[in-house]
Amino acid sequence: MSGTSPAGAPAAHPQRPGGADSRALRTGSFSSIVNTAGVYAIAVLFLLLGSVLQLTGAIGNFLSPQNLLNIVDAVALVGIVAVGMAFVTYSGNYADLSVPTTMGFTGYICIELLRYNFAVALAGALAVGLLIGVFNGFVVGRFKANPIIWTLAVNYVTMGVIRLVWVNKQIYPDMVGSQQHAVALFDAIYRLRFFNLIGLPLVILIVLVVVGQFVLARTSFGVKLKLTGSSPRAAKLSGIAVERAVMWSFVLVAFTATIAGLAVTSLSRVGAWYNGAGYDFKAVTAVVIGGMTLAGGRGTIFGVLGGSLIIGILNNIMTLLGIGTFSQDMVRGAIFIVVVGINALSLRRMGRDDA
Amino acid sequence: MRSSGRSSLLALGDKYRIYILFVVVFAVMSLTAPKFFNVLNFTAIFNAVTMNATVAIGFTVVMICGQLDLSIGSVISFAGVLTMGLQPVLGFAGSIAVAVAGGALVGLFNGLLVTKAKINSFIVTLGTMTILQGSIYQFSGGNSISVTTDEVFKISDFLSKNIVPLITPQVLLTIVLVLVVEFVLRRTRVGRNFYIVGGNRTTAWLAGVPTDNYLNSAFVLSGVTAAIGGVVSVLVSTAATLKLGENSLMYVISATIIGGTAMSGGKGGVLRSVVAIMTLEMLYTGIILFGLGNEVKIFLAGLILAYVVLYEAYAVYRHEKALGQRPELMKELAERASAARSRKSAGA
Repeated sequence: MSGTSPAGAPAAHPQRPGGADSRALRTGSFSSIVNTAGVYAIAVLFLLLGSVLQLTGAIGNFLSPQNLLNIVDAVALVGIVAVGMAFVTYSGNYADLSVPTTMGFTGYICIELLRYNFAVALAGALAVGLLIGVFNGFVVGRFKANPIIWTLAVNYVTMGVIRLVWVNKQIYPDMVGSQQHAVALFDAIYRLRFFNLIGLPLVILIVLVVVGQFVLARTSFGVKLKLTGSSPRAAKLSGIAVERAVMWSFVLVAFTATIAGLAVTSLSRVGAWYNGAGYDFKAVTAVVIGGMTLAGGRGTIFGVLGGSLIIGILNNIMTLLGIGTFSQDMVRGAIFIVVVGINALSLRRMGRDDA
Repeated sequence: MRSSGRSSLLALGDKYRIYILFVVVFAVMSLTAPKFFNVLNFTAIFNAVTMNATVAIGFTVVMICGQLDLSIGSVISFAGVLTMGLQPVLGFAGSIAVAVAGGALVGLFNGLLVTKAKINSFIVTLGTMTILQGSIYQFSGGNSISVTTDEVFKISDFLSKNIVPLITPQVLLTIVLVLVVEFVLRRTRVGRNFYIVGGNRTTAWLAGVPTDNYLNSAFVLSGVTAAIGGVVSVLVSTAATLKLGENSLMYVISATIIGGTAMSGGKGGVLRSVVAIMTLEMLYTGIILFGLGNEVKIFLAGLILAYVVLYEAYAVYRHEKALGQRPELMKELAERASAARSRKSAGA
């Protein structure tokens, strides 16, 4: 996929060194539109690949409405996390690896609080999720701790808290003492479908993408975040509260992780520490494939949605081909490294050695 | 840096922090934890740390170079699975060779992506970690692999039987590896160059140090020591579980930082990391001896890692905040101002 990579696109019209700034603040600039279009072109290519595989008889019903719905549902969950993750990547802090246990932990909290009522459960889960985000954001933003190691540590700590509090037990929404009404609402988080078609997670994803893109491209917070991601030092010297921008990006990823955690828990109807396992890496891969560079300050949320689509379609094709979950990990890991490598290479061609 | 008596003592304390910590933890545990102070327990601790201590050797060198290797955990499991899985085909000599060579290859792959493709090391190793985890499950079919021939039991017995009190062959292997790498780091030009590369890559390159070669060899060493750790561990336990290296990353990173190796590179040592691993293991053993469960141990390990990362980040933060500030000048100015004021009031 190297030839048609989204990252390859900007190299097609190289900018003169010292001339037009490739880092212009206009997010809607031509190169970024080409970039995003490239991502969706790849998504379409994967759809075509699936169709061709179905025609040749290699896989069963790829194009059946049910399967397409499956793809969309899977994309919704990864996409929700990816939108939040995109803000962290955009701010130049690579990724939040505490996402898996944030998802698991908030699921536990929500189920535990179902004994009061649904609103309390939702609020409790959100409060805990946001608290983790604020904590991460404060430490990474203020003290510039290495974001990967720090969030990894927080992931372990949260895991430890889950194991300590619930003593390695899984919990179920219809436990003794839960309000039946609240349980029904909780089950509906994943299962509610508008017009019997569009699931609630998908609606949430679309809202998040539209709002996220608006915030990133059209608000002063977005511009501050772009500067912070491009060069924290320059941003700081020009008077931007870098700490606050970074803090907000971690709060946003915690927020989306909480939503996805509740959706996954609602889907599986069980609170378990492994509920969010793998979502961190899937989300980062979606973000990177979506044309957002790990160096920070470049990319769009629309691109990230495209990245999530690609991941979703690819997973679906691999599953239909009978490739196991763990081999899918291998493929995802390989794609991740290849895309990051191409990104770094194309940035260097543009004369930027900071990738 | 002013060298008054007090601050030089503090600096000395900081320099030997990990050794002091080791002694303190040892003393506290010996006095309080039931059944801690006996040879059997010490032997158990020695044997328990061999895997992570071996892994920490390469990991520390990578960190001295200013890089990170997040793939060590999966390299451990990968090497273990290869050793046991290929044994029926290649025999132990062959399968161990393949496992260690596999670790070296993973390291080389990481190194080349860092030096040639110029990708951040923790991003690269995050990717290889995922790929390896997939391949471990793929290779093993999701089950742990055990070999139950007489040969493997003989090897296991040999590796875990004392040669002299406290020291088993597996411990001896780790000690030898640690001493060799520590000697190279401290006493040879090659070793010094690792620190120079970690301290400032550009300067090192300008000074004629082939930085790419040093980074590549650091990653290869990390892959090799992680693989050796995995191989020895499965040989002793006679079975390769898929989660063998699951928590190693957490233990090794925290120990390396506690040992005084800076995450920014250019500082630290292998012996310190290993002493830190011993210290942490004593702490964890103590927890188990106090009758607390494994959950507490994992929770505490995570907490220690978080604390250590925060501590280091905070130290850098304070240092940067103080950069360019001259407290002694400010003090002098304040003194002068107050002297002028008192002279004025005396005149009036």
